[in-house]
Amino acid sequence: MRARTLARDDVLKVVDLLRRNREVLAPFCGRGRDTYFDVVTDDNRDRVRIHLPNPYYPPKRYLLPHIERLMRSRNDHGDLQYSPTYDETPRALFGIRSCDVAGIAHLDRFYLGRDFRDPYYERRRRNLFLVNVVCTHLRLDIDDQCFCVCTDTGPAARSHFDLQLMDLGDEFLAVAGSPAGEAFFEHSIFRPATAAHVSRRHEILTTVRAQFKTTTSWFAATVRYVSQGNILDATWEEIGNRCLECGGCTFVCPACTCFTVSDRRVGPDEYERVRLWDSCALAGFTRMAGGFNPRRAVHDRRNRRFFRKLAHYFIQRELSMACVGCGRCAAVCHGDVGMPSVVEMIRRATAPTDTTTPLVNAAKTPP
Amino acid sequence: MTSPHADNIYLPQTAVLDRVVEDIPEVRTFYWHFEEPSLQTAFRRFRPGQFAQVSVFGAGEFPASLPPSPTEPETFFTIRSVGTCTAALHHLQPGQRFAVRGPYGNGFPMDAYRGKNLVFVAGGIGLIPLRSCIVYALAHRADYGRIQVFYGAKTPGELMYLPNLREWENSAGIECYLTVDRAAPGWTGHIGVVGSLFRKPGVEVPVDNTIAFVCGPPIMFRFVIKDLLGMNLPAHCIVSTLERYMKCGVGKCGHCCIGVAYVCVDGPVFTYEQIRRLGEDI
Repeated sequence: MRARTLARDDVLKVVDLLRRNREVLAPFCGRGRDTYFDVVTDDNRDRVRIHLPNPYYPPKRYLLPHIERLMRSRNDHGDLQYSPTYDETPRALFGIRSCDVAGIAHLDRFYLGRDFRDPYYERRRRNLFLVNVVCTHLRLDIDDQCFCVCTDTGPAARSHFDLQLMDLGDEFLAVAGSPAGEAFFEHSIFRPATAAHVSRRHEILTTVRAQFKTTTSWFAATVRYVSQGNILDATWEEIGNRCLECGGCTFVCPACTCFTVSDRRVGPDEYERVRLWDSCALAGFTRMAGGFNPRRAVHDRRNRRFFRKLAHYFIQRELSMACVGCGRCAAVCHGDVGMPSVVEMIRRATAPTDTTTPLVNAAKTPP
Repeated sequence: MTSPHADNIYLPQTAVLDRVVEDIPEVRTFYWHFEEPSLQTAFRRFRPGQFAQVSVFGAGEFPASLPPSPTEPETFFTIRSVGTCTAALHHLQPGQRFAVRGPYGNGFPMDAYRGKNLVFVAGGIGLIPLRSCIVYALAHRADYGRIQVFYGAKTPGELMYLPNLREWENSAGIECYLTVDRAAPGWTGHIGVVGSLFRKPGVEVPVDNTIAFVCGPPIMFRFVIKDLLGMNLPAHCIVSTLERYMKCGVGKCGHCCIGVAYVCVDGPVFTYEQIRRLGEDI
């Protein structure tokens, strides 16, 4: 069995062990709702939190930084020189939530799958050790917006972590999800787990699952309606009218992948090429040189985002869905058109049994 | 060449600018080659309709159609100065270095079109990607049926690749019809939109066993498509290449994703049947 137990007092020793040969990032609490991932140091080590509201700024940034340098170039009297710049620092993410683990699993499928592999993502990912913490604290871990139970990504991740820790009350259950995680069990802080521990885990998860407020039970139906193009333009317009085009939903999304690339001057005749997170919510996202923009209306852009996330075609393409139920988009959206609201608006517009209203509208909605 | 960065899909390779030829105002043709000869050999296996990413460090990178045919000895881009990066390329002098990566995209399936009539309809700089196919088809003349080119520009001074156009007008194996929106002194040819050439006396567009290539500004595209469908040409026999804002060219940056397709990897060549299902303006 790949499970062990761990005394409550020994949980942060996992951080200490990881710090021997890695930079460790862990969650901390600021004031109020402010929570964030930061590098663990000798000074802040004791303030690492196990239970806390999930930070809005998603930990995907350790794989896909907000701004990342790709290459450096130098133009020396016409002699052009340039070389890529990689970050291969060994890192560990301690305390990553299950939804964000699923987000990374999606990024893996997207950046490392199909014909082209992203070399920057690949190097960061290869050097990253994931310690998942299961959300069990009903008040601290689970927000009103969380809906991982609907996307089937939580509260306990099933895979894609190296090590998973779960609070059983008086002690912690540790599960290994990779050979590297299993090797970690050699440390003396881990003790064998029994069948009783496992049944305690099931009991807790059953209780936790029942506590989610945002259940968006229509999520699966929405996937079907979006995939079939059966959502009325009027519904997208209603959603678009509430979008303030800030891009917030995409920037906090653990499964959003879009980026733009820009060159900037860093010295005389020296430049660096960087990539930055970009957002399909922004009007300039599809604007070409010369000004032509094939996607102008805000509701077209909203339609695009939810189609890309929910259409069966893309779920099949990556074998994973670009929504992991973290609820961040719902929390940050000024117009309240995060994923749970969109699902609800689609349900409201589509579910009425008024058979005189055609459900299919042909041209505008993608198939 | 095996480099330690061979796996880096975003890393372009150094290219040398050989010479620059002014084609029409604001549009120049840049002849170039890779500094590393083996890269040049590999690159020249591109297919008509594919594209490349062009880097001018400090300004950025942009996608560019490949106007040469792989059957031609030289590699070149034809670029309109329209934004920051294209303007930076226009400022380069012969001998200076820039960088290129590619070729990318699906390209036109020229092998699958063997035995068919090829009808090329282009407007303005839409001739750039189609030039590759036309030259390719002429180099494999026996493989194809009739070859027709319908090309229109705003004014006679904006007809691109004039030496090629004159050559095609005077060749036996290809029918080439030109038109301009507004004549200029000395212009004795047709005046009107591209579609009006289809109705010109003496012109007969084959419809059976035909592939129509359509490239040009959005408004021209819409009218030409209407004309072709009106002639009973099936939507799956009309092909075009889509242009979208792109940053990576390899299906990662997300900018060119429309409908269920990433234009850079699933396109840029699509049939009109596919295009109308993508649900977005061309």
